Amino acid sequence: MIKEFEGKTEKEAIDKAVEALGLDRDEFDVEIVESQKSGFLFKKGRVIIRVHVGDDMGDDMESDGGGRAPENDFEHALVDFVENVIDKMGFPGKVTVAFREEKKLGLRIDSDHSGILIGRKGKNLDAVQLIANVVAGRLTNEDVRVILDAENYRTRREENLIRLARKTGEQVRRSKGSKLLEPMNPFERRLIHTTLNDLEDVDTKSEGEGLYKQVRVYYRGVDR
Amino acid sequence: MEKELVTYIAKALVDEPDGVEVNLIEGEKSTILELKVSSSDVGKVIGKHGRIAKAVRTILSAAATKSGKRVVLEILD
Repeated sequence: MIKEFEGKTEKEAIDKAVEALGLDRDEFDVEIVESQKSGFLFKKGRVIIRVHVGDDMGDDMESDGGGRAPENDFEHALVDFVENVIDKMGFPGKVTVAFREEKKLGLRIDSDHSGILIGRKGKNLDAVQLIANVVAGRLTNEDVRVILDAENYRTRREENLIRLARKTGEQVRRSKGSKLLEPMNPFERRLIHTTLNDLEDVDTKSEGEGLYKQVRVYYRGVDR
Repeated sequence: MEKELVTYIAKALVDEPDGVEVNLIEGEKSTILELKVSSSDVGKVIGKHGRIAKAVRTILSAAATKSGKRVVLEILD
């Protein structure tokens, strides 16, 4: 199901969607169709979002022909492992090699069940990825990081986070205050920090304990 | 099915796959899976700060959404 909502801000549009659909924010995917930044003097912005609910997730993604086949023993073993895990989870799919980089191996899952395999905020995908990394470490002595993706979730999440970082940066710049973002994993936090690095008058720092810390974005003015 | 899943993952993580044993205790609303591994392998299925155990539990609860039953993983030592 795809529906469009409009609001003065992204948040307002999303809140409207939450109310109209009776769903939690985590249960649907949001795509920004149109975003007019609020003007400098008259603060009127307009944001149109498109909401994807359930299995429609990623329907409009361009469908490429999938990844490449595994090449060496290591890749074969790892691809088999992930395929077996998702199969035994009850969500079978095809696993292929998305990319090979130095010390990095990208695997992609193509499955009819990618929604549940990704999970809320990528929780399930992260869990399978963590186990795949431990297994990869046991299969080879080389230092390889495995990155698991489905439906381009990681790319989309990255884009969303960069957008969130910029938006929050603008907000604290205007309010000259600070804003605490939702808990994120180290990779996601780094993305927020680096995105806002080039804003001179805005700073970021992580707060909290453990793997999932929160980033605070705050205004610090220009010291010059 | 969940038993098979845990067994498969555990065997991939340990040094002694033959030492992996999973017992299933079926309750009314939840299923308890008892995972037993060789004592030298316990750390391998738990991980630093319980990260591996946590990931396995996440995978299990995702798998359990199909049956709608809660699955609890207990690691015996």
